[in-house]
Amino acid sequence: MENKGLFEEFIKGIYKENPITAIFLGLCPTLAVTTSLINGLGMGLAAAFVLLFSNIIVSSVKGIVPRKIRIPIYIVIIATFVTIVELIMAGFIPSLFRALGIYVPLIVVNCIILGRAEAFASKNSLGRSIIDALGMGIGFTIVLVFLGSVREIIGDGKLLGYYLFGPEFEPVLLMILPPGAFILIGLILGTINWIEIRKNQKIFLKFKEKKLITTENPK
Amino acid sequence: MKDIIKLSLILGIFCTAAAFSLAGVNKITRPRIEMERKRVIKEALEHVLPGAKIITENKTIDEKTYYLGYAAEDTTQRPNEFAFIAYGQGYSSRIQTMVGVNNKGIIESIEILFQQETPGLGAKSTEIRPREEKPWFQKQFAGKFAADIKVDKDNGEIVSITGATITSRAVANSIQEGIEWLSDYVKFEKEKTITE
Repeated sequence: MENKGLFEEFIKGIYKENPITAIFLGLCPTLAVTTSLINGLGMGLAAAFVLLFSNIIVSSVKGIVPRKIRIPIYIVIIATFVTIVELIMAGFIPSLFRALGIYVPLIVVNCIILGRAEAFASKNSLGRSIIDALGMGIGFTIVLVFLGSVREIIGDGKLLGYYLFGPEFEPVLLMILPPGAFILIGLILGTINWIEIRKNQKIFLKFKEKKLITTENPK
Repeated sequence: MKDIIKLSLILGIFCTAAAFSLAGVNKITRPRIEMERKRVIKEALEHVLPGAKIITENKTIDEKTYYLGYAAEDTTQRPNEFAFIAYGQGYSSRIQTMVGVNNKGIIESIEILFQQETPGLGAKSTEIRPREEKPWFQKQFAGKFAADIKVDKDNGEIVSITGATITSRAVANSIQEGIEWLSDYVKFEKEKTITE
């Protein structure tokens, strides 16, 4: 893991190891808050902020945290930053705070953050942990913003609160209701899998041409 | 044994550090949050008392606040509208609702100031249906007497939110109690409550 390039470490969170589309972590907030672009962006950035600081602290204290109580300590660290985000949001961006409401405290149990603390920050250097958090945070935010925009456009006929279509446009209500999130995320995952399968097939065919693989009936 | 002491000590140190940093942030954000709360109350008052030119604050003996709305910029006359904040224990939060009533005791309009109910269920109390101006749940309180403010399950006129009877009931009951409480302090005109 240590010999990965720094850029590769950063970029992996955006596509290859994207927390939502590749590791399937944190789906609960993803499905619940992405009813509009601004909600998706707010949730993504809030989670990214918490992720960044929890990775920084977890990585810097990894030497003194005993293995037995590492999870409670990670939770304390994460909960502290979530509360900080909540207070700052309530004080400075109250409209977003009202929109995200109960989801902000739920960042504490967002598996992405604890997952990265346990799987990455507690084993890697501070610099790498920061880069990992930035990549993962941006990857998470991109998916949330995409989901939010598509659902807002199709389900509400708006983007960023402005009506995009004339009054004769009938919004597909289903899209801003919970099933819409499931349908959309299913389509995204399907597309990604399709791309990946095609890529692998191409590689396989290339190998076959060069006679590097000889089996007739490969899996 | 030694291990337990050591582990508790380390966990304690982390928690202390967390507590101190939270106290620091709280000190910075508290005045802003206070200010924001005042602004929200002011805005809600303007919404629930549409006919008021001047709104003044009044306190009861036990330090509860209610608001008086005057139709003209003249506070020597009788106020024609009243408002108060109703508090009701919902499913997962204490719901605060700003309620405006006219001088006959009829609700002008209500606005939920704060709630942290379950998203998708109780949180629908603030849901605005697409292409509508106001939340549908709160809209139905307008024009009703205190006696009619009960959810449908309690034989009242308020259509409750599907799957969130506790939230609906908390809002309705807190408003009804609030109006009764308010009637001890302000005189409503008498032609009211002819409910069989």
